Amino acid sequence: MTGKEYIESLRKYRPKIYFMGRRIESVADDPITAPHVNAAAMTYELAHDPRYEDVMTAVSHLTGERINRFNHIHQSTEDLVKKVRMIRVLGQKTGSCFQRCVGCDAMNAIYITSYNIDRKYGTEYHERVRQYIKYVQKNDLMPAGAMTDVKGDRSKRPSQQADKDLYVRIVEKREDGIVVRGAKAHITGAVNSHEIIVMPTRALEADDKDYAVSFAVPVDAEGVKMIFGRQTNDLRRLDGDMDCGNAKYATVGGEALVIFDDVFVPWERVFMCGEYDFAGELVEVFATFHRQNYGACKVGVADVLIGATANVAEMQGIARASHVVDKITEMIHLAETCWCCTLACSYEGFRTPSGAYMPNQLLANVTKLNITRFPYEWSRIAQDITGGIVITLPSEKDYRNPETRDLIEKYLKGVAETPTEQRMRMIRLVENLSIGAELPESMHGAGSPQAQKIMIARRSNLEMKKEMARIIAGIKEDEHFRKIRGVTEREFFSKLK
Amino acid sequence: MRIAVKYCGGCNPSYRREEIEEVLRKYFQVSYADSADLIVCISGCKKGCAAERARGEFLHFDEKIKEEEIVRKVKEKLLLK
Repeated sequence: MTGKEYIESLRKYRPKIYFMGRRIESVADDPITAPHVNAAAMTYELAHDPRYEDVMTAVSHLTGERINRFNHIHQSTEDLVKKVRMIRVLGQKTGSCFQRCVGCDAMNAIYITSYNIDRKYGTEYHERVRQYIKYVQKNDLMPAGAMTDVKGDRSKRPSQQADKDLYVRIVEKREDGIVVRGAKAHITGAVNSHEIIVMPTRALEADDKDYAVSFAVPVDAEGVKMIFGRQTNDLRRLDGDMDCGNAKYATVGGEALVIFDDVFVPWERVFMCGEYDFAGELVEVFATFHRQNYGACKVGVADVLIGATANVAEMQGIARASHVVDKITEMIHLAETCWCCTLACSYEGFRTPSGAYMPNQLLANVTKLNITRFPYEWSRIAQDITGGIVITLPSEKDYRNPETRDLIEKYLKGVAETPTEQRMRMIRLVENLSIGAELPESMHGAGSPQAQKIMIARRSNLEMKKEMARIIAGIKEDEHFRKIRGVTEREFFSKLK
Repeated sequence: MRIAVKYCGGCNPSYRREEIEEVLRKYFQVSYADSADLIVCISGCKKGCAAERARGEFLHFDEKIKEEEIVRKVKEKLLLK
């Protein structure tokens, strides 16, 4: 599909989406959701552009056909690297979240985990996953990935909750499928996807068996309801194209609360059903893929912010000030550091028993943990350079008002060669990228910082580091030193005493 | 039965790789030779560098594993030969 065809395809679906007390009838056309649709459409459009198709497309190992890389199951570390290269490009082209990586990660995660479930239990989930992915590839669909449950009382496991529906669960098993109930929160791109892939949100125990469920349904399946979340400044989308800062592609992903109100899922779309001992693995595999992405998408968006900040500096006549040059260089350094992390976790990726590749878990978590911090710093610098006007700029309506337009033109002028409107647009872009939903999304998307810390602690080898220190400090014998000097440390240093 | 051990470079292992070799030495004749009845590759992480250049019959360990599992896997592989 091209970008245009993707938008047209959405008009054939009838998902139940609610926002601000009303139903969104056409997600492709409603001014609140349309910018997010445009951002997702970029993932389709660039796949048809010869300048980007090397990263935007791949050859399916299932069909041999060339497909959009977002629907690809990674077959090598080079595939993992190309995924993040694709994601950085899309961040640069949209200055926003293009949403499609979540479904990509969900497909790869269920592909890997379903294989492992089948090996242990002799089930047939993996073949179902392969058939489902073929269907997605053939029709070039965009599935949303839905992991985060609403969770209720966080101190209790799913089966211990007073309301049993606070984690998505199986409420009925039938001959032809299952019925599920519950809700998933913060689901990126759900409203403008074709499908939703559901996964458990945490490791589970035997009592939580009914919550060990993974499946896929179309977005307009009977019983699926979505409540589109509010964002800072979201109603500016109704006020023209200047005040948003990024009117074409919005900010972050357009997240929704997705409710499964007794939704029927046929067996061929069920990928886990009660295997609670694999829930933790599925979460961990998905999280690794998704945390890998953040060192690419946020860096692509940072490229736009760095450009916007440098433009503002020029428009305000401060571009040559040494501290401004230094600060912009600092922004670049921070962004490229995150890029190093995502490349590293991709190059250090490995083949799983299913044959699909996944990134290095430790390094993917380090990547995402940096993203919970560094964007705050590069945004701080952008706000510093832009000045207080980033939060006091008059509205587009005042700029268009004949009574105030000339005053704004005169008094908000920067350097002579820059029209005032261009300066205003650039300041708004800085505002869009450094204030509002962008930063909390960096914090919590793909998991909050503590989730990454837990994984980093678990995946690093602290005991080995302690032993290294004992050897260097002379507490434990250094076998290599003895070989180098031909005597033990004690014998070597006794000569000096 | 002779077993040859091949290590990865050990840049950031997630466990103490030598534990695998120590177990092998308890049950088998182990060397660092290029040829043997079985090559056992020991990588420190899932990247699996030790197995990258391995050819022919080999067994690959890339994570901490119980002693009985190591022995079982080696014996299984040797019996298949």
